[in-house]
Amino acid sequence: MTRALWTHLVKDLRIEWRSKEAINSMLFFALLVVVLFSLAFDPRGSFAQQISGGVLSVATMFASVSALNQAWAREIRHQVLDAQRMTPAPGAELFLAKVIANFLFVMIVQIVLAPVFMVMYNLRIGGQPWQLLLVLPLGTWALVANGTFFAALSIRSRNRELLLPLILFPIFMPALLAMVQATTAILTGESDPTLWIKLLVGYDIIFTTVSLLLFEVVLHAE
Amino acid sequence: MDPATQIDHQFVVAAYIITWTLQLGYLAWLGLKWRAEKRSADRRLHSR
Amino acid sequence: MKKTLILLYAAVTVALMIWGFYQAIYVAPSDAMQGEISHIFYYHVPNAMLAFLFFAVSLLGSIGFLSFRRSHPERAQISDAWALAGAEVGVIFCTVVLTTGPLWGRRAWGIWWTWDARLTTTLVLWLIYVSYLLLRRFAAGPQVQTLAAVLGIFGALDVPIVYMSNRWWRTQHPAPVFGGGPDSGIKDPAMLAAFGWNVLAWAAWGIFVLLLRYFVERKHQLNAEAEAQEELEANA
Repeated sequence: MTRALWTHLVKDLRIEWRSKEAINSMLFFALLVVVLFSLAFDPRGSFAQQISGGVLSVATMFASVSALNQAWAREIRHQVLDAQRMTPAPGAELFLAKVIANFLFVMIVQIVLAPVFMVMYNLRIGGQPWQLLLVLPLGTWALVANGTFFAALSIRSRNRELLLPLILFPIFMPALLAMVQATTAILTGESDPTLWIKLLVGYDIIFTTVSLLLFEVVLHAE
Repeated sequence: MDPATQIDHQFVVAAYIITWTLQLGYLAWLGLKWRAEKRSADRRLHSR
Repeated sequence: MKKTLILLYAAVTVALMIWGFYQAIYVAPSDAMQGEISHIFYYHVPNAMLAFLFFAVSLLGSIGFLSFRRSHPERAQISDAWALAGAEVGVIFCTVVLTTGPLWGRRAWGIWWTWDARLTTTLVLWLIYVSYLLLRRFAAGPQVQTLAAVLGIFGALDVPIVYMSNRWWRTQHPAPVFGGGPDSGIKDPAMLAAFGWNVLAWAAWGIFVLLLRYFVERKHQLNAEAEAQEELEANA
């Protein structure tokens, strides 16, 4: 890992560790979404197994957006982006550090939420549990990588908070489908999630690469 | 015409009307935009 | 001279549209299985084909803009105008597809909608380009064009992925497919003719509207540039 990447990453992690504002708000938001879906759909028995993949994914999406909206707020407030533009270090490293940091935050939220979720929905894992350890990070990475990139795109817009989900969600849809299908397959044990896992890997590789390549363009466009 | 075909026909008419509304509506909007740009350009030319 | 050509082109377009309408409603026979409702086909499918074409134009515009930004600023502006025109006209045509399709589906196959590969991809494509247009409207600052171009590329990249993912989904959970399977096709020559005429008519219309949108945008760009120039001179 290069120094610039490491510096940015440690900075973001340290700031978050002190305030914990992103993680706390994400956690609470995700929990609220899970509860709301329970009221909306009354999950019982095998029905709960069928919908839990979708509920978890959507909860992650909404929770992440609340954090992603603020992803670049600190950088804007303190003219960090201007400073970054003047350094020779590639902007891609700042971007990657921010993605990794946000990724870790969302993963923490998911890890804390998962047992609560399994209890509330009485979930049993019908398939291979270890596959969940593949699916959730891959899906979350797709969301956070694209989300951080689009958050940078919409920095200067008037309705920044509204615009981010509007441009993120359509593009995220195939990854959402894969995440939901894979999670449901693992929980119900009824089908093989391998195809979906491969799709997520492909999606992550393609969009992370494109984001890294185009971030410099976006950085200098701000 | 039997009732099913009648409803079919109504749906076809609805589809064609929607298509025309969208397409002509857009064309009209474009026309307005064109006029606005022309006016703005003329205003600038005359104010110089 | 130019005005005459434009009027001539417009007249030809109108003539084609009228002829296409006549072909679709009065000449083409109703489908043996679907009946009367099949006539929606002659408007629905050409609009779909053209929507995809215009979205492709938009993608090329976005790529062009990013490529020419530094080297040929004017060429970049032209590319950006194409990107916007393609996206907007594409959204209009795609809206036609998404509204006429369910009307057709409801009567022909009994359902307004299904989440098969084709429909889902079309819907997501529509969502992506609407979000593109929203970005262009809401993002402020001088670099809107760059940001929009980036989003345009991301969006276009996503489309084949959406299609494939949905195909795989439907392999596992088969669901109705609108528009028939691989061996359904137009065999009746009268139907084929009506279809062909309407493709031509809508292409003529679409290209007319696309060009109009392009020129309006170019005018807008030049106006904005001139205004900016004046501001600069006034303050100098």
